[in-house]
Amino acid sequence: MGLESYQLGVKGEEAAEKYLQQQGYQILEKNFHSQQGEVDIIARDRDFIVFVEVKSYSYRSYGSPVGAVRKAKKQSLIHAAQTYLFKNKIQNTYCRFDVIAIFTKYNGQRIIEHYRDAFYVS
Amino acid sequence: MLVKIKSAAVLGLEAYEIEVEVDACKRLPGQSIVGLPDAAVKESRDRVRAAIENSGFQFPPGYFTINLAPADTKKEGPLYDLPIALGMLLVSDQISNKKMNGSVVLGELSLDGSVRPVNGVLSIALSLSGSKRRILVPRENADEAALVKNIQVIPISSLKEAADYLAGKIKIGLHKVDLKALFQTDPEYGIDFVDVKGQGHVKRALEIAAAGSHNLLMVGPPGSGKTMLARRIPSILPTLSLDEALEVTKLYSVTGQLNGKGSLITARPFRSPHHTTSDIGIIGGGRIPRPGEVSLAHLGVLFLDEFPEFERNVLEVLRQPLEDGKVTISRAHSSLTYPAQFMLIAAMNPCPCGRLYDALQACTCTPLQIQRYWKKLSEPLLDRIDIQLEVPRLKPEEISAMPAGESSSGIRNRIIAARKRQMERFSGSGVFCNARMRPKQIKEFCELDREAENVLKSAIVHLKLSARAYDKVLKVSRTIADLEGEATIQAKHVAEATQYRSLDRKGG
Repeated sequence: MGLESYQLGVKGEEAAEKYLQQQGYQILEKNFHSQQGEVDIIARDRDFIVFVEVKSYSYRSYGSPVGAVRKAKKQSLIHAAQTYLFKNKIQNTYCRFDVIAIFTKYNGQRIIEHYRDAFYVS
Repeated sequence: MLVKIKSAAVLGLEAYEIEVEVDACKRLPGQSIVGLPDAAVKESRDRVRAAIENSGFQFPPGYFTINLAPADTKKEGPLYDLPIALGMLLVSDQISNKKMNGSVVLGELSLDGSVRPVNGVLSIALSLSGSKRRILVPRENADEAALVKNIQVIPISSLKEAADYLAGKIKIGLHKVDLKALFQTDPEYGIDFVDVKGQGHVKRALEIAAAGSHNLLMVGPPGSGKTMLARRIPSILPTLSLDEALEVTKLYSVTGQLNGKGSLITARPFRSPHHTTSDIGIIGGGRIPRPGEVSLAHLGVLFLDEFPEFERNVLEVLRQPLEDGKVTISRAHSSLTYPAQFMLIAAMNPCPCGRLYDALQACTCTPLQIQRYWKKLSEPLLDRIDIQLEVPRLKPEEISAMPAGESSSGIRNRIIAARKRQMERFSGSGVFCNARMRPKQIKEFCELDREAENVLKSAIVHLKLSARAYDKVLKVSRTIADLEGEATIQAKHVAEATQYRSLDRKGG
């Protein structure tokens, strides 16, 4: 991963965090890691614990960003989510996996797309 | 939170009740379906999700466990989509349950939330017969379900409609069909014996075969009208009674072949499988055994064109259903019995090139080829075919003549009368037609007068009839006598019956 795309990712996560706060989400954790997984942002939306995967793009790509979250990434998110819930002794709470896609144009302008309940444990 | 909805599963021709249990709990989102679902049931979660969202509801959050109880029988097909979707809506309190109490729900969901037809609805409805219970079925299957008395059939066309109905928001009238109207009109076959040119003796033989439910083999060159004649047999068979029609419809319902044929099959089935059909295709089978062609021809006609071209094992598997009128198929999963009372009509050429015994063209086959061709038909199989006859090529003047035969309905009236006589004769013995007479009954009912006995004796001597052929001749003569309304078998009846042993005479 080049420095450029790393910076794009970090900036994208910052933008996503800001966006979620504007939407009334309470940020609980950022870059949460478990042994076999990680989640970019964990937030609370009313009754829900939301695990957010942030996808940053420097162009408007084809296909859906949700489709870009593939099987291995899903497993990693699910593992991290389970670890988070276990560590914090959270039970009997609705959970959700969201994907936030951030497109950054060459002039710095951003388009944010939020996919709620993007996938589920199968 | 737990919700239970009644549904049903079909095994063979019988249905049994199952319970769809939907449990929701608050944790990572997802769902699992348990209770031995097959692929179509497992896929239902994607259909259910789309259908719920496209019906204006919210797909509920949380983890869902869906159990199809009893958990030890295999569940197949998409008919649990609707109960699962309703269960999810109920468990997430998106709809209220005012009218469910014990209703049976079935239906496949389309992604837009509309309900699609499913297989086996008649079997399921029959299993509830007389219980006065309510059953929610796809609208396309409503006619089928309504054939059954004393159940309440609610036709459903979409998930939204089902939800509104259960919540008491809308009313849906009970679906009814007029059984009498279905039976008032004679089934439309579209073909009639009037169209057949010439071949008077074949028509006569087919009439006898239909009257006594005898199996029949036609031997003739290509183009002599064997297929045309065979296709017209259902039009001279008596119409199905309600019970018979239900039995046939059930078979077509579970195999999903009812679509577009109306709710009830009142016409006798006519099946003509191609000669490449496998033994499983003929007899039925599969992991969960499905009915084969012999069962789909139940109470109708199974027509096997190019008889010796069938695989040998395919022909041999016919023997048992010809004898018993049913097939029992055992597989690791289950052993199922399907009815198979059919009339076998077979057609074949006299030799591979088809021109043997033809007055106009010479046969090009070698004797070995002809021998091989006939060897395909085993003795025990031919044993079960009562009437064998030759169908010669039409004469030029017959081809150019206008068809002027008797209409099917005229022939049918005689057959109905002859069958009635047989029913009275055999009442209470479990035998319904002359073809199925047992040796004891042959002795009892096939009494010959002196003259007839003499004819038969000379036939045995001159035509070298075997003991087996002797019984066949008696059975066929009994049917001929029945057609004429005679109590005893006379010489002319026997004389005609011996005509139908052409293969014995050829020594083939």
